[in-house]
Amino acid sequence: MVSSKLRVWDLPTRVFHWGLVSSYVAAWLLRGDQYLHLHVLAGYLFFFLLLFRLYWGLAGSFHARFSSFIRPMPEAWEYLKKAAGGKAPRHLGHNPAGGWAVLLLVSLGLMISITGLLTLGVEEGHGPLAGILEREWAALFHASHQALAWAMLSMVGLHLVAVFRESMLHRESLPLAMLTGYKRTDTRARTENVQPHAAVALALLGVMLGFSLWWGRGYLLHSGNEPYLPFSGPMLSRNALWEEECGACHLAYHPSLLPRRSWNRLLTQQENHFSEDLYLDAGTISRLRAYAVTGEAGNTVTEASWKIHNSIPAAKTPVRITETSYWKNKHKDIPEKLWTRSNIGGRHNCTACHLDARQGWFEDGAMRIPFNGKNMTRIM
Amino acid sequence: MAIKVNRRMMSAIFLVGISCGLIVTAQASAVQELLAEYGKEGAGKYNAVNGENLWKRVQVDAKTGQKRSCVTCHTNDLRKPGKHARTGKLIKPMAPSVNADRLTDKKKIEKWFHRNCKWTLGRICTPQEKADILAYLANQ
Ligand code: HEC
Ligand code: HEC
Ligand code: HEC
Repeated sequence: MVSSKLRVWDLPTRVFHWGLVSSYVAAWLLRGDQYLHLHVLAGYLFFFLLLFRLYWGLAGSFHARFSSFIRPMPEAWEYLKKAAGGKAPRHLGHNPAGGWAVLLLVSLGLMISITGLLTLGVEEGHGPLAGILEREWAALFHASHQALAWAMLSMVGLHLVAVFRESMLHRESLPLAMLTGYKRTDTRARTENVQPHAAVALALLGVMLGFSLWWGRGYLLHSGNEPYLPFSGPMLSRNALWEEECGACHLAYHPSLLPRRSWNRLLTQQENHFSEDLYLDAGTISRLRAYAVTGEAGNTVTEASWKIHNSIPAAKTPVRITETSYWKNKHKDIPEKLWTRSNIGGRHNCTACHLDARQGWFEDGAMRIPFNGKNMTRIM
Repeated sequence: MAIKVNRRMMSAIFLVGISCGLIVTAQASAVQELLAEYGKEGAGKYNAVNGENLWKRVQVDAKTGQKRSCVTCHTNDLRKPGKHARTGKLIKPMAPSVNADRLTDKKKIEKWFHRNCKWTLGRICTPQEKADILAYLANQ
């Protein structure tokens, strides 16, 4: 008996397709600094799916294999011309132009993954490529990562237009086929069902689920009073005297947040410290100074220190972190009325929004605007 | 077994007793020594009621027009945590009866008198004022 329906897409191909869509959308939506930990998870899943797709292009069922859908360029061109005139023939698997689109999308995806890993490693100092290059390179990787993501988005746009046109032309829903795996039989083509390969699909899902759970284990297992910090920065110097004396009225700002000359000025002007008289004796001041200058921003141990330091003109000696142009730029979107809210209390109160301010890290993913008790709205 | 536990309890009680005693003495000695020093600097007999009045007295800052007093940061109830009026940072309770670390270090007390009098009153406090406030605080 000849069935009118034919299984064209095996399960792993479908899991790949919708998994790639979801991880791309998730990474796009979670691109803000504060979601970096989840953005990176989406990125790893995206990368893993693409690598799997390369393997499945060699080992998968008929329509999943590159050899079945990568046609010579002229053929793809011919197809596009026919499609433009509304006369494109129906293909059970990918059409000749679609085949190239798959290759292009997969390559863009791989490049996005690699530039993402480079950005994570060089700019943030995390992931497998942590610190492989000087921080100077970070901007380049970051910009290419973004440009490639936009390029892929526009390719996805073209892909959607093509899918829509082809669906209309042949009166069948291609998106539905990618969900169910089935398409209408075509007498001119191969008429066998492809293997479903359910076990491979299950393994694929299992690996991704397992990895996600492992990645998020900190949120699930963390207990204790301190909030969970998904990223740990480098070990920074600590000093009990500094914490005691400079942590009495506000957070003991880590010395890595301002350059040496700023700390010198602050300590020299201690009798007029933002109209407070610190009244510290000379011995205490010199011990504080000795600690501050060894941990100063010029050492650029963290991303924050590097960027703050680079944003200060050599002729300037800021006495506030909050007056440096990097700081101002990073916080320019925060509305003025938020600063005066009682559970924030001012720009200087880094701890209100940065869970790792005390450690001096200021990692992405450790910042959040605290809820407004009154109406529970999140301004950002 | 029972004897052992008892012994342990005994030594625990003993240790707790000793440490309480030490803290109380540290406090008493820091406060007593400072009071004596203020006396030498010209303060007369200290008066806790004057201290309380000064603590609660509202002063208008000449430059900003803000109303300031010691209560601004330390709150009206010395047994409760306060909040730094300028930075929002929590300040542990001032009353030695709930915060045994209070008033145990002469240098620290002097440092904060200097800072806080200057900010609140716009000038440093006289030895008499410091003696009165200290007498008031030590009894809380
Ligand atoms: C007596 C209280 C007090 C002590 C002690 C103190 N500060 Fe401050 N500090 C302040 C106040 C008040 C401000 C201004 C807060 C505001 O309104 O923004 C400030 C601001 C700062 C700022 C600027 C924050 C910004 O806006 O970027 C730095 C840096 C700073 N302090 C460093 C130090 C250091 C270093 C020490 C230790 C030597 C210290 N502070 C000790 C009261 C204090
Ligand atoms: C009202 C909340 C709030 C306060 C208070 C605050 N920040 Fe931020 N900060 C943020 C937010 C939100 C971002 C992310 C901005 C973005 O990237 O869109 C941020 C970003 C940063 C970054 C960049 C992190 C990165 O790698 O991209 C640094 C560094 C930083 N803040 C330092 C500070 C310091 C130092 C203080 C205290 C002097 C402070 N912040 C106070 C909310 C706050
Ligand atoms: C701007 C906020 C502010 C004001 C106003 C203020 N204080 Fe304080 N005071 C502090 C802070 C912060 C500490 C340190 C608390 C700590 O060590 O935990 C402190 C500590 C002290 C201490 C030292 C306590 C100890 O543990 O030895 C004394 C004494 C003191 N204040 C007296 C005063 C007096 C007197 C006034 C009014 C003239 C006053 N304060 C007003 C913020 C303030």
